[in-house]
Amino acid sequence: MNDAPQQITLDQWDVRYAELRAAGLSEPSYGGPLRRHLTDGDMRLAHLRYDNSPAALRLWNFLLTEEDRLRAARAGGARIVGAMKDLGTVPVMAYSLDNVAAFYPDGAWWIPCMMELSAGLLDIADSLGFDESFCPVRAMLGAFVTEEHFPRPDLLTCSVGATCDDLSAIAQRIEAMGSEIVWWEAPHRRSPEAGETPVELPGGFVAPQRQVDFVRGQLQIVADAMEDLTGQSLDSRMLAEGIEAANRVRTVLRELRTLAYTTDPCPMGALEMLIAEMLAIHFCSDRAESIAVLKELLAELKGRAEAGVGVVDPDAAKIFWINPVADLRVMNLLEECGGRICGTEYLFSHALDDIPTDIEPMEALAQMALADPMVGPSADRAERICREIRRSGSQAAVISRISGASHCAMEGPVIADRIRTELELPVLEIEIPPLSDSMRPTLKTRIEALAEIVRQQKDK
Amino acid sequence: MRNVLYTCPFVPAEWIAAHGLEPMRIAPEPTREGLPAGMCPFAAAFIHAAVAAPVAAVIATTVCDQMRRGAEIIESRCGTPVFLMNVPATAAMGLYRDELDRLGRFLAAVGGAEPSGSQLAETMLNYESLRAAARDSRRESGPGVRLALGGGPLRSTDREIFKLIEQVGGTVVLDAIAGGEMTEPAPFDRARMAADPAGELANAYFGAIPHAMRRPNRKLYEYLNRELIARGVRGLIYRRYQWCDTWHGEAGRLKDSLPTPVLDLVAGDDESDRAYVLTRIQAFVEMLK
Repeated sequence: MNDAPQQITLDQWDVRYAELRAAGLSEPSYGGPLRRHLTDGDMRLAHLRYDNSPAALRLWNFLLTEEDRLRAARAGGARIVGAMKDLGTVPVMAYSLDNVAAFYPDGAWWIPCMMELSAGLLDIADSLGFDESFCPVRAMLGAFVTEEHFPRPDLLTCSVGATCDDLSAIAQRIEAMGSEIVWWEAPHRRSPEAGETPVELPGGFVAPQRQVDFVRGQLQIVADAMEDLTGQSLDSRMLAEGIEAANRVRTVLRELRTLAYTTDPCPMGALEMLIAEMLAIHFCSDRAESIAVLKELLAELKGRAEAGVGVVDPDAAKIFWINPVADLRVMNLLEECGGRICGTEYLFSHALDDIPTDIEPMEALAQMALADPMVGPSADRAERICREIRRSGSQAAVISRISGASHCAMEGPVIADRIRTELELPVLEIEIPPLSDSMRPTLKTRIEALAEIVRQQKDK
Repeated sequence: MRNVLYTCPFVPAEWIAAHGLEPMRIAPEPTREGLPAGMCPFAAAFIHAAVAAPVAAVIATTVCDQMRRGAEIIESRCGTPVFLMNVPATAAMGLYRDELDRLGRFLAAVGGAEPSGSQLAETMLNYESLRAAARDSRRESGPGVRLALGGGPLRSTDREIFKLIEQVGGTVVLDAIAGGEMTEPAPFDRARMAADPAGELANAYFGAIPHAMRRPNRKLYEYLNRELIARGVRGLIYRRYQWCDTWHGEAGRLKDSLPTPVLDLVAGDDESDRAYVLTRIQAFVEMLK
C-alpha cells in the first residue's frame, strides 16, 4: 500500500479504502467508504479529488453524515437549534447546554453543489420567488420545505441588521411559512465617537462599549429562548465551559491552518482545509467529535511536515483566497492551475480567533459577534485581509464572488483595490456558481494566468 | 450650505430641520456610472447623487446591505461628512432612539444646533401639517381601475410609472412604495410629544413605518391587507429592482397572501425597459377591467 500523500479520485478511494480496511483501519461509527455518499445522492463527490489520508477520510465522513447525526440526536431526545446567519456565536451558547445540538441551516447552500442540483432545492426556491438573483443560500428555503436535509429545529434563530439581505429575506420567508424565528439584531459596527468607551474586539477591530452592550442584550434574548426550550439555566459557568471548548476547536484549527498554509511543500489540499475551517463555526453538529476529527488531521499534517512531503507542486503560486466557494470543485481547480492556498478569509475570520476568557462570558460572545467581518465596514474587512496576506506571504489574491450575494457587488472592489494599492499584489475576481462546470475553461484560464503572473514576478 | 441629503424614510426630516438644517430628501437620478454586476440600481443612483451633491452632509442608513456599504463609498469619494444611521431590522426601539441622538450630535457638528424640546415639537407639528396637506391633495384619484403601487423606492424618472398607469386606464389609489405614503410616519400623539418629543418622533417613525426589511415584517402585510380592502384596490403593481433582495424577497409571498392580484414588475435600467413595463401594466389593467 502506497501511503505517500497524494490527491486521489473517488474511484481511487475505493481501492484505497479496501486497502486501509485490510490493514486494520479503525473508524468512528460514522465511518465507511466515501462512495456510499455518492450513492446517497452526493454526486459532486465523483468529480472531486481528495486527500488520501485516513484523517481526511474521517473529515469527509464527519461532514457528510451531519444529517444522520442530527436525526439521531433528535431521536435520542436532544433539542435541535438551527442558528441562521450565525458564524460562531449561537452554537457556542447552544453547546454550553446539556442535550442540545446546534446546526447551521445556511450550510444548505452547498447542497446544490454536492447533489449537482438533483435535490431540486433551487427549483423550490425559484417557485417561492427566490430566483438566481439571490445567493445560493436560497437552497436553505428548499431544504426547509422538503425537510429532507435536516430535521425541523426546535428553536430557530437568525441574526439580522448588518448582515446580508439575501439570507434575511429568505429567513423571513421561512418564518412566514410557519417556522417561528428568534431574531437578534447585529448592528453595523462603527468606530467609537468622542466620549464613547472603545473596546478592542478579538481580531483587532474597535467598537464602542455601547454597541457591545447592545449585542449582549440581543444574545440574552437568544439565551432566554434556549433556556425556555431546554428548561436549563444557561449560567456563566456553563457558558465559560462552552467557550473553552469552542476555543479548543479554534486552537487546533489555528495550528492546522498554520501548517497547511505556510509549510513547503503544502501538506494538505485546499478542499479539505476549507471543510476543516467550516467546523469552527458550527462544529458540524458534534463539538467533541469535531475536535477529534481536527486533531487527527493535525497529526497527519505534522507528520507530513516533519517528513517534508506534501500534495501540491512546491513551486505553486501562493494564493490568498477570499470568500467561500459555492462549488467545492474550484478548490481542486486552483491546485490544478498551479496555485496553493496560503491564507483564507472565508467570511468568518472572527470565528477563528479565541473567544476572550478573561471577561464575563456573555460579554465575550457579544464581542465576538461584533467582530464579524460582515457587520462592519468593507474597509475593516479589507484591512484585516491585508494584514493576513502580509503575514502569510501570499503572492496573489483570489476574490471569489458569491453569485447574487448582496454584499459581493460592493465589497469585492473595495477589498481588491486595497490589496492592489497597499500590497501591490495581483488580484483576481471570479464568480462561482454552485456548479461551475460550464465555466470551467474560463475559470481555468483566469486562474492559470494569475499563477503565471506570480511565477513571472518570482523569476524577476 | 445647509442642506442635508438623504432618501431613507426612517430618517425624520423634522429632526434635521429642528437642528436648523435643511432636510433634502431625494429620489436620485438614474445612473449607469459605477454600476458593478449585482448592484441595485437605486443604491447606485443614490451613491452617485450623494457624491456629486453640494450639501452640508449626507445621511445613509442600514435599511439595506447595499445602502449600508454605499455610505462607505460616498465617504471615500467626496469630502462631504456622511452619517450612517443604524436602523434596526428588529423591534430594537432603544437602538433607533440612540441613533437619533447620535444623528443629532452629527448634525450639530456639521453646522446645526441642538433644538430645545419645544422647538422640536413645533417643527414636528409643522411637518405633520405639511404631510396632511400632501395627503389631501393626493386623495383626488382619477377614473380607472383602482390600483396600488408597491415595492422599492423610486428614482426621479421612475415616477413616470404613475402616468403610464393612467395612460393604460388605471389609477393609483394607494402609494405603497418605499418612500411613498406607506412609509410616512404615524400621526404624533400630542400627550407623548409634550412629554418627550424626541421619543415620540422615534415612535412615529420607527414604531410605525411598515417596511419589507423589518423582522418580522408582518406590519407590512397588515398595512397592505387593510388598505387594499379599505380603498377598493383591484390589483397591486409591485415594482422592484433587480438585485434588491429586500423587496424582491416579498414578491412571492405577496402573491400568495394578498386579496388582490399582484403584478411583479422587475424595474430595468434602460430605455428599452419602458416598452416592457408599459406592456405588462397594460395587460394587467386589461385583465382587471
